[in-house]
Amino acid sequence: MSHDPLDELAALPPSAPPPLAAALETELDALRPVATRRPVRQLVMLVAVSLIYGAGILAIVTTRRDASELPMGWMVGAGLGWLFGFVIPCHLAMVPRTGTVMPRWRLAAIAATITAIGFVMLGALIHPSGPSSTQYGAEHFARGHACLEIGLATAVVPIVLGTIFLRGALPVGSRWIAAALGAGGGSLGGLVLHLHCHVTDVLHVSLVHGGVVVVAALLAAAMVPRAADVR
Amino acid sequence: MARYCDGDASAFRELYAAVSPRLYGYLVKMARHRSLADDLLQQTFLKVHRARAAYVRGADPVPWIYAIAHRTFIDETRKVKRAIVRVADGDDLPEVGADIAGRTAGSVDEPADPTLVKEALDALAQLPEQQREAVVLTKLDGKSVAEAAEIAGTTVGAMKVRAHRGYEALRKLLRGRANQEVG
Repeated sequence: MSHDPLDELAALPPSAPPPLAAALETELDALRPVATRRPVRQLVMLVAVSLIYGAGILAIVTTRRDASELPMGWMVGAGLGWLFGFVIPCHLAMVPRTGTVMPRWRLAAIAATITAIGFVMLGALIHPSGPSSTQYGAEHFARGHACLEIGLATAVVPIVLGTIFLRGALPVGSRWIAAALGAGGGSLGGLVLHLHCHVTDVLHVSLVHGGVVVVAALLAAAMVPRAADVR
Repeated sequence: MARYCDGDASAFRELYAAVSPRLYGYLVKMARHRSLADDLLQQTFLKVHRARAAYVRGADPVPWIYAIAHRTFIDETRKVKRAIVRVADGDDLPEVGADIAGRTAGSVDEPADPTLVKEALDALAQLPEQQREAVVLTKLDGKSVAEAAEIAGTTVGAMKVRAHRGYEALRKLLRGRANQEVG
């Protein structure tokens, strides 16, 4: 016989649990089949709907007038960067590892952080301009609020869809999952701005276009967990 | 779980019978109050029921259910501000144990020593909440460090540190008690 109190405790058979509560029994009486979560299908739906919505916003605000004057490699490369910045965090936030129910919040956290910092850095380092481009500079920096609004308006759809799809699936790590959804949505907003905005000064591209990702991630982290929680 | 999501209520009862004894043990050790653990268990399964559409077919539901229990415990203790409830009466200790087949501690080959069990529970109650949970999950509930980290929503590294510190603190507390008794 062991004389280690912890071993004694570990060796105890499981306690007899109480019977099911009346509230639960009542709900079970009216049990109906439910459609369970299909993460990959939901991700595809989220990406498709969000891209169509983003394209709609771009059609309303029009494409940038200096697009043909800028290096094609940069336009395509940065566009793909924004697109991956949208898809990868959303994938990590939505699709769990095989055999598990809860999404990969640690990887989602890393993706959200890298995306948020990465696009601010990218804007600071690379911001080519053409003859038709505009420079706000520090003096008119505040005029960039319109871009922030367009970016955040674009981010709303993927965040809301993700919240609906993930309802009840996030007992832990929900803030990081929400931040990843926000960063993904913000990146889609950044993609729309990349194709729309002809302001090319470093402060605007870095802090406003990149800032959309940061702000969307922070707002999502603050609001989504409550909305996705099951009470 | 899949049958239950398809509308089979008996499958839920099977799930409850399979998961609730261990989960209840976890909640009793965390809450240190049998009535609170009862309430937390019911809340957990009510949440599982309401969130069943979030289940992914083919996945193991147990870590998810434990994570819901973990979240429910944290929310509840924050709400009532009693992370550690020390109760002196024996009725709050998990002495009357039973496995799924209904066997109690008295029916196993080597019955647990109630004094040692009480010592361990008292020492466990003195640990900080995170360390207590790490010890309960890894040492008492037999979960791997990775599983425990998933349930508690932390990293494997952080869970290892919590479990190690909790285990060391527990050893110190138990040694201190033993020395007092000898003295």
